[in-house]
Amino acid sequence: MAAPPVLELRGIRAGYGRIEVLHAVDLVVPAGAVVGLLGPNGAGKTTTLAVISGQVSPSAGHVYMLGRDVTGASVDALARAGVCTIPEGRGIFPNLTVAENIRMFTHRGVSRKECEDRAFHHFPRLIERRHVLAGRLSGGEQQMLSLARGLATEPALLLLDELSMGLAPIVVEELYGIVAGIAREGVSILVVEQFARTVLAVADHAAIMTGGRVQHAGPPQEIEQALSSAYLGASA
Amino acid sequence: MDDIEGADASGRLAEFQSEVERLRIRGSSPTTEQRFLTAGIVLMPLGVILVLVGWFGASGTTEFSSQVPYLISGGILGLTLAVVGAALFLRYSLARYFRYWLMRLIYEERTSTDRQVDVLSRIEKLLNNS
Repeated sequence: MAAPPVLELRGIRAGYGRIEVLHAVDLVVPAGAVVGLLGPNGAGKTTTLAVISGQVSPSAGHVYMLGRDVTGASVDALARAGVCTIPEGRGIFPNLTVAENIRMFTHRGVSRKECEDRAFHHFPRLIERRHVLAGRLSGGEQQMLSLARGLATEPALLLLDELSMGLAPIVVEELYGIVAGIAREGVSILVVEQFARTVLAVADHAAIMTGGRVQHAGPPQEIEQALSSAYLGASA
Repeated sequence: MDDIEGADASGRLAEFQSEVERLRIRGSSPTTEQRFLTAGIVLMPLGVILVLVGWFGASGTTEFSSQVPYLISGGILGLTLAVVGAALFLRYSLARYFRYWLMRLIYEERTSTDRQVDVLSRIEKLLNNS
């Protein structure tokens, strides 16, 4: 019997107050896969991640993880279970050092040494910067720190929001190479991005979201062909 | 190496499965907090009204046995509802206030740190140039 997907959204409707942002969103992340959720600004991608991580409660629809309905689960319970979000803007503490930022993630019962070992294993560049204030790091290094903190918690499901924001293409390529490596270790990853091509190079599946709806979903080759019409609204 | 990675992956997935099975889902809704706040606002005056009704009812008779129902249903119940309503209102109002206060503190702390980092960078540049 095939394993249930590590994440499945069915008919999710959600918004802020009276403004509905997501309109019956369906999305599947198979176990161990990298799934790209692509779309222009304001499409509802970040809100989708907020629903998955428990930060926003859907007004309709269900969130399933490994077959269990977890709609309404609290943010901290999901984080303890193994759902890790790397937010847009990185979410690091700029007035703490690299080592102190990593130490913040011992909340899952992992020792400080283990956290640091896991973080520095994936990002050896951070070892020489461990006593530097996080706010003094370059954009790429801050993104690495953000990812390193997430990986220190040994997530089963990693939610990445706009990994490439404000970074040079060469740095983005390096980061997505690391993401592909993380996926090979068995972590299921949902990546939200505006800049589609870099994600499609590492994704197993992808979906395009516009106006709060998933317009297309399928393998990367199929999605690449549908990109222009989806973003620009041109007819196929 | 692939076998080891595969074994690690399925182990982590099994661990995630057991963590997910153990999740306690309270089923929150975006309006739960608002509902409790509204309940508090409604219960407070309702409790006061019940106390007044009990008082008027009890004051209309001199027989203690006739006054007891008014005392219980009006006085005690009314007081209980008023206290519960006040507690709900206070708890959820304070939660909103403190949430806003915390967000404000975090925002100001980050702005202050950004300014400090900016000043440090400028000092560094000046020192390097000299």
